[in-house]
Amino acid sequence: MAHGRLVIIKTLVLLGFLSVTLRLFDLMILEHKQLAVRAQKQHRAAEPIDARRGAIFDRHYRELAVNRRVESLYGVPQKVTDARAVAASLSPFVGSEKTDLVVKRLSADRSKGFVWLARKLDDNTAESIKRLKLGEQIGLAPESYRSYPKEALAAHLLGSVNIDNDGVEGVELKYDEYLRGKGGSKVHARDARGRALSNGGDYEQPGNSLVLTIDEDLQYIVEKQLADAVEKWNPRAATAIVMDPFTGEILAMGVNPTFSPEKPDRSENRRNFAISDVYEPGSVFKVVVASAALDLGVYTPYDRFDCSRGSIEVGGRVIRDVHRNGMLTLAEVIKKSSNVGSIKIAMGVGKDRYFEYVKKFGFGQSTGIDLPGEARGLFSANASYASVSIGYGIAVTPLQLLTAYSAIANGGTLMKPYLVQEIVGPDGETVKSFQPAQVRRVISENTSRTMAEILSSVTQEGGTAKKAAVDGNGVAGKTGTARKLDMTTKRYSESKYMSSFVGFVPANDPKLAIIVVIDEPRGAIYGGEVAAPVFKGISEHALVYLKVPREDTKNVLLVSN
Amino acid sequence: MISVPKIDRRLIANFDWLMLGLTVLIALIGVATIYSATRPVGDDPHANFYMKQLAWGGISLLFVFLIAGVDYRWFHRLAYPLLGVGVVLLAIVLVMGRTGLGAQRWLSIGPLSFQPSEVAKLFFILAMARALSEYNARLGLKDIARLFGVFLAPSLVFLLLQPDLGTGLMFLFTFTGLLLAAGIKRRALIALALSISLAIPFLGGVFWAGLKPYQRNRIVAFLDPDIDPAGIGYQIAQSKITIGSGGMTGKGFQKGTQGALRFLPERHTDFIFSIYSEEWGFAGAIALLLLYLMVLMRGLDTANRAKDRFGYFLALGAVLMVSFYLSVNIGMTLGLTPVVGVPLPFMSYGGTALLTNFTAVALLINVRMRRFELFY
Repeated sequence: MAHGRLVIIKTLVLLGFLSVTLRLFDLMILEHKQLAVRAQKQHRAAEPIDARRGAIFDRHYRELAVNRRVESLYGVPQKVTDARAVAASLSPFVGSEKTDLVVKRLSADRSKGFVWLARKLDDNTAESIKRLKLGEQIGLAPESYRSYPKEALAAHLLGSVNIDNDGVEGVELKYDEYLRGKGGSKVHARDARGRALSNGGDYEQPGNSLVLTIDEDLQYIVEKQLADAVEKWNPRAATAIVMDPFTGEILAMGVNPTFSPEKPDRSENRRNFAISDVYEPGSVFKVVVASAALDLGVYTPYDRFDCSRGSIEVGGRVIRDVHRNGMLTLAEVIKKSSNVGSIKIAMGVGKDRYFEYVKKFGFGQSTGIDLPGEARGLFSANASYASVSIGYGIAVTPLQLLTAYSAIANGGTLMKPYLVQEIVGPDGETVKSFQPAQVRRVISENTSRTMAEILSSVTQEGGTAKKAAVDGNGVAGKTGTARKLDMTTKRYSESKYMSSFVGFVPANDPKLAIIVVIDEPRGAIYGGEVAAPVFKGISEHALVYLKVPREDTKNVLLVSN
Repeated sequence: MISVPKIDRRLIANFDWLMLGLTVLIALIGVATIYSATRPVGDDPHANFYMKQLAWGGISLLFVFLIAGVDYRWFHRLAYPLLGVGVVLLAIVLVMGRTGLGAQRWLSIGPLSFQPSEVAKLFFILAMARALSEYNARLGLKDIARLFGVFLAPSLVFLLLQPDLGTGLMFLFTFTGLLLAAGIKRRALIALALSISLAIPFLGGVFWAGLKPYQRNRIVAFLDPDIDPAGIGYQIAQSKITIGSGGMTGKGFQKGTQGALRFLPERHTDFIFSIYSEEWGFAGAIALLLLYLMVLMRGLDTANRAKDRFGYFLALGAVLMVSFYLSVNIGMTLGLTPVVGVPLPFMSYGGTALLTNFTAVALLINVRMRRFELFY
């Protein structure tokens, strides 16, 4: 038999296979990338849809930020025959001013299978659009709408999201990667007929939720007190922070004026004054020099300083006290807030050792709070230590001051402030939890106890902040009334002040550290007048809410027993 | 004398398990690919194509053993009458066939319906094998004309009238292949080659050149109505995208997007190779091609070892049939050859085609297992 012909056939078969292999190599290896892109492009929607974003809860799992399912309108340019007609029938629902935009998007690229036309419609609009009978030319896709059920409450902490549900401010931004979940986007698959397929679930992984250290009730108390003060003094801005001095947990942080996270405007109202703005603190800063002097053993609380002249000359500048005082002990210097006394203490401590303490208290460094946009403050080794000792020539944030005072309250340790205590997964499982973190020991326990006693006297008879005194519990704290630097004249203003009060309560068993800062109050300027009552208001309500026993009740009980 | 069919130990020992194993493996890969290609999106139930294909696979396997059990010399005896039956069936289907997709291809007998063209192609191979086995010398022009007129022309006319371009071309391909294997006299070969090479460009070229593109499409559509003319370009483009997007290692089983989302038409039938390549990649495609290559080489080896000329041409005819479908189908999915709607042997969804291909396998096994037997 003619088997030689079989060899020819075999050769032909092998040549056939070889050419197929070469063609496969060409398509699957050389042209792979380009063809894979085409495959993906035609079955995936051009734009991703957000995955369900995690919620934000307060420390008792009360909802501060949640998602509502809403519907968004998209167009399918491939299926659109007359973009103008589609836009015309949609215009009553998306707004007539958007008609041109709809036409443009629908006709820009006819090969596209997906373009957004209107995002996050209300339920009625979505229902009406469904009844339009535009067939496959348009469709509605579910999206989540970020909703803040408590409206403006804690707005500066929570921050906000953009139309794509990306966090842009506050914890929404700081913890965006957790909230949005891994992958972060849900993708529309569609088939050859351009139908959007509902099985995009494969791609969706809901984000994790945040449990804040914030207490919704305390937050409300803070914002209410701030609002009252703003009404009374009509300042530029006001802020108050409440912190657990032993742990660094932020329990409330209020900023006024505030905004609504669901409709964030571009105004300055969104600035978080509590952490982002720096100012010269004034007298509240005197505790630093006093603490340094006591901690180093340079002075005792009973050492006396001659303040009878009412002024002191340092580096060619004369610094005066508000009232002329006589001889003051170190304790009295703080109680009366004497500038002359503070500078004399600073002279005794010496610049280098004093500045060491300023740094140890955390000034000039960020506190590390888990919020975006924290300012570090301004503190230079070249500053005049006399100025710094009375709170000028240094710029701080309200939060820095509060953490410094918390160190005095808790026995001498600087704590790192934080806002999120736990990140929980979609099924409630713990993803990550946060514990109190010590930054460093600043002063000895003895010094802190002494300082607490001195600060308690401030709110007592003869102190600068009797208006901060709380009925039933001792308050330790310090007033501040600082002239603002006028940026145009480069001189300290005669009319613009920063009034503050910072302290902790109850004085001998601190539960809360609180700072109140009022920027440019009108009508009164002194911290003891403007800020101290806000401190008192917050403290009284907060202590009742937290069921902290009154110290005088304890005494009464002792007596009656 | 021809022996009565009987199964002796020697036959079982010579049964070509390798050939059966290879083709069954390819068929199972086919079932899995059909499963993936027709998987539903959303909540629809899974289309039961893969179950049907599996059932047809079972029936085909029964056929393999049945046909392998009958000595192929019986087919030698019945070859001419069977070709007659085949031609008659093709004629009947023209008159009273059920129309599907614009062409009359199906014939119903009671509840059963089948495509006579599938049966006819096997009968044609049998008849050709017998006819060629009776020539001892190289074929002359007269022989070729006789073979063409008697064996090919009747079937071809009826096939093109259906119209069934794919099967018609397969007949032509197998006919030519078998003639070349039988040997053609040099003068006849030159004369044929010259006349064909002169006639085709002349007749075809003059005719084709005078047509507008859409008219050409209409002609293609006339010859093979399976194809939507406007969709030809779309199909080829989608097939290339499907294959190319698979890359080196593929997207993974049931991870392909082109079939399930219906971008690729005929995803579980004519374009199943594209779906397979998308999910298993270049590596998988080469592996599959090697399986096919082994089948063809094994088939050619069977022809080589056949104990008589009838067996030789029978085996060769079976190999030519499978090769034709394989090359036309894969060539089409790769955009190398024109789109002619033919299935991929052993893999494409379709019971009759599966049965026909396994019958061809059975013939190969049959020839191979009886290569040592002497009956003369």
